[in-house]
Amino acid sequence: MILVRNRLKGMNNPPESAAASATNVSKIYGHDDSEVRALDDVTIQFEKGHFSAIMGPSGSGKSTLMHCMAGLDSLTTGSVSINGIDLGGLSDKALTQLRREQIGFIFQAFNLIPTLNAKENIVLPLSLGGLKGDASWIENVIDAIGLRDRLEHRPSELSGGQQQRVAVARALASKPAIIFADEPTGNLDSKTGGEVLGFMRRAVTDLGQTIVMVTHDAVAASYADRIVFLKDGKIAGEMFEPTPDRVLDYLKHLGE
Amino acid sequence: MLRLSLKMTLARKGRLFLTSLAIILGTGFLAGTYIFSDTLNSTFDRLFSDVFKDVDAYVRSSSFVEAEFGGEQRGSAPISALETVLSVPGVKDAAPDVQGYARIIGKDGKPIGADNGPPTFGGIASASVAGLWNIEEGRLPVGPTEMVMDKATAKAGKFALGDTVRINAQSGSREFAMVGIVNYGDVSSPGGATFALFDQPTASEFLLKPGFVDAFLVQGDGTVSDEQLTSAINAALSPADKLETITGAQITQETQDQIGAVLSFLTLFLTAFSFIALGIGCFVIYNVFSITTAQRLKENALLRAIGANKRQVVVAMMVEALIIGLLGSALGFLSGIGLSRGLSAMLNAFGIELPTTGLTIQTNRIVLTMIVGTVITILSAILPALRAGRVPPLAALRDTALENVGSVKRRVTIGVVAMLLGAGAITATAAGASNILLGIGVLLVFAGVLIIGPGIAKPVALSLGRPIEKLRGVTGAMARQNAARNPKRTARTAAPVLIGVALVTAMTVFAASVRSEVRTAIGDQFQGDYIVSSANRQFGGLAPSLAPELAAIPGVAQATGLGFTSVNLDGSGKFVLIIDPATASGLITFNMVQGDQSKLSANGILVSDTRALAKGWTIGSTIDVAMVDGTKKIVTVEGTFASSGFGGSYVVNRAFFEGTLNNLFDTNIYIRLVDGANSDQVYDALFGATTDKGLGTLQSRDEFIDAESGQINQILGLIYGLLGLSIIIAIVGIVITLLLSVFERRREIGLLRAIGMTRSQVRTTVRWESVITSMFGAIVGVVLGVVMGFVLILILADSGASAFSLPIAGTIWILVLSFIVGVLAAVYPARRATKVDIMQSIATT
Repeated sequence: MILVRNRLKGMNNPPESAAASATNVSKIYGHDDSEVRALDDVTIQFEKGHFSAIMGPSGSGKSTLMHCMAGLDSLTTGSVSINGIDLGGLSDKALTQLRREQIGFIFQAFNLIPTLNAKENIVLPLSLGGLKGDASWIENVIDAIGLRDRLEHRPSELSGGQQQRVAVARALASKPAIIFADEPTGNLDSKTGGEVLGFMRRAVTDLGQTIVMVTHDAVAASYADRIVFLKDGKIAGEMFEPTPDRVLDYLKHLGE
Repeated sequence: MLRLSLKMTLARKGRLFLTSLAIILGTGFLAGTYIFSDTLNSTFDRLFSDVFKDVDAYVRSSSFVEAEFGGEQRGSAPISALETVLSVPGVKDAAPDVQGYARIIGKDGKPIGADNGPPTFGGIASASVAGLWNIEEGRLPVGPTEMVMDKATAKAGKFALGDTVRINAQSGSREFAMVGIVNYGDVSSPGGATFALFDQPTASEFLLKPGFVDAFLVQGDGTVSDEQLTSAINAALSPADKLETITGAQITQETQDQIGAVLSFLTLFLTAFSFIALGIGCFVIYNVFSITTAQRLKENALLRAIGANKRQVVVAMMVEALIIGLLGSALGFLSGIGLSRGLSAMLNAFGIELPTTGLTIQTNRIVLTMIVGTVITILSAILPALRAGRVPPLAALRDTALENVGSVKRRVTIGVVAMLLGAGAITATAAGASNILLGIGVLLVFAGVLIIGPGIAKPVALSLGRPIEKLRGVTGAMARQNAARNPKRTARTAAPVLIGVALVTAMTVFAASVRSEVRTAIGDQFQGDYIVSSANRQFGGLAPSLAPELAAIPGVAQATGLGFTSVNLDGSGKFVLIIDPATASGLITFNMVQGDQSKLSANGILVSDTRALAKGWTIGSTIDVAMVDGTKKIVTVEGTFASSGFGGSYVVNRAFFEGTLNNLFDTNIYIRLVDGANSDQVYDALFGATTDKGLGTLQSRDEFIDAESGQINQILGLIYGLLGLSIIIAIVGIVITLLLSVFERRREIGLLRAIGMTRSQVRTTVRWESVITSMFGAIVGVVLGVVMGFVLILILADSGASAFSLPIAGTIWILVLSFIVGVLAAVYPARRATKVDIMQSIATT
């Protein structure tokens, strides 16, 4: 355990502008004839302090890329690093600790533990590590999501939008190096979704956080600074300062 | 629809297996009990049909006394009647037979065979073709110093021809020259018993009474049927000898029936425990069906949406139950074969040694096990199936299965009413109502607790979890919440633990109280310094001549024997204690209410005050007594004593049996030393005269009291062992529930793993949830068990509630073990939880 900590710390030292990077990453499912290349030699970096989106048609490998970069899924070849730490060769325990301390997660649905209240859910990654966290930072985050009066409520007593805001707050609570969001507004109506996306945007702009979001929604993607397009497991292009219309145009062109 | 439900059942092999497991264990115990007792019965049946296979007619005394706990003691036959029997036409030959007590002492000075093991017989070896024994080696014994023994015992004791063999019997301990080795027909030793055989005069004198034997074995010459032979002998016998003749088939049947009656007691005992196990299995099955029904909400809703009606959904569930029931009971029967061996080994370990050869499997037992198992499964599935039928076609698609607890208030009300009714029934029993009411009362109390269970599961689980949350932080908090999130499920999972723990606690409380009562009783009744005790309580014991021998040892002030026998007293068979009033005073003390124990005359009797009250006897009342040999006497009540519950109800003078043909043994001899005697020296002398010769066990008074009060531990151990299977089923129940819960919460676990929960934290969460569940059952069970134990004492113990003593250490042990049960049950489910695939469980598309 001490070894792992030192290792993480040691590798944390050299200044890196990339919060997460993937180098020649391939992910192949199945064998021989039934082989599926979900990711095919992908190399990409996500800068610190940026809000990035990954887009692409179904089966393009966008979720796989995110899962691989977040240390949830293994690679077939290539390497991934988070905040300068190479994930290759880390034990399950070390990987778990890395996810807890360096990565925040926001999923589409079922983000919260039903038996814990909102506050407990927000600090869950910290509690799992036996840490208290930065109290004033957490207070800021709670104020920012605007759910101070609902902190004692269980997820089942919160609306879908409120639940996703709690999920965002949880992802932010440990001040991670990077937050991965997988279709965070996929289950929300556009107004509620807009609120959540706005909040994510502010987390990057005002609080200096780093977010990578997988989405297939052009409007959601337009909140990002940069969009990476994936097709057939390869990077098909990039777009900076996107608008919904430009994204839709690009996707149309990509689908052909 | 039938095919569909078959398909759906078989598609989920894991669930099928888990549900079956509970029924396998339950029916396995039942089948094991059946197979074990059938095997035992047929072993004994074979044994006795072997024993009497060449006997055409059997002549014995017509007078007998039925013993208090089954069986009978029969009088003896004068050897002079042999001539009469031999002279009857159709008789080819007849041999006298003695079945006395004789303990062969091994070369190491220890008696051969276990104290509570197969009997150790002494008998007659004769040349007659009607005799039971064939010479294998050497020759027949002749005269008062020769003996032969069966081949198996000779082998076990490494005896060879010409060896000197010490044998203890009623007339004392003597040495004989071994002149032969015999076989029992083709068998070397029937049923593991040991046999020391002598010529007839020696056997009669050493084992019984000179001039008397137990029976004559008659072989016909084949000219008349066994029945004709029997009636011809009966006609020839002198009425004065009080003899009767039965056929070989009859004596075989009678012996088999006697053994059968003893064994049926054991079978009943075992069956009771297997039904407890089955009942606990029922809970597990009911729980599994309930959980899976909740988890299958979507599946059933879909079936309903596409056109299945309520009935079809219910039938589909019942078909599943039927399959599981049949499969589980079939496998249960198979595992019962193994379990029957286990039962045999366990009874052996507790000193009940029973010969079992081969394996008796009866078809009707298979059918019965299958029916019981299947019916129980189907009954357990009815409620969940009906609930499944009520699923609306457009049931909300929820992520986790939640079962609603109905109104807590209603639940608690019904439960409390049931418990009060039960308490009422139990109180009625204490006041003298029938024992059936006691059973109903206990069941009602259990039912009440189980009904209340889901109502209190949440608060109890939450408070049990509080220290765990303090200790383990967030993982503890989640375990606590998980245990409390589904109160119905938690309560149902804890129910088997609750029942098991309640029974174990009740037995522990009861035993502890009985133990302390026994201590006091024995301590009050028996003074002195040393005690020689014989473990042969049913058959044989210490020779009555031993007590005077010990009294003569220098340094011994006083020694007196205590024996018992059965007599027919006031019309029914009763145990009577036999004392020697002259030497007993100060060593064996009855707490006399009236009269003086030391003045007990040869034709007097002391009666316990409760019996005296019940029968209306007072000092001077007369009671008719008939002895085993047919002697009829009238005894006069000369005193009453306060019954201790363990000291017997009747006491007579040894002189009462003077001149009769009763086999008298002493069970214990109590010894007092001369004041100031060198106790080490006297102990050595006493030891040399007793234990060293294989005659009983010499103990100090304290050692003896410890040993006597400890005897209940043996029974307690056996009961614990038998309840152990119920505990295993309870563990399996927790394992199944946890597995299903882990399966149900796999998305939650996946999420936790994604955001940073380590595998060991996942394990911790599952483990503590398991511990909270089992502790919930254990704590409620302990409370219920203590109350039940108290009630048992109230009803059964003579001294009533004052005997109650709470075994604190025992109770703590039960709680510690329940804790361990929780930890053990969680091992596999926790491992499964750590293997949850994060990717799969968080996948949204």
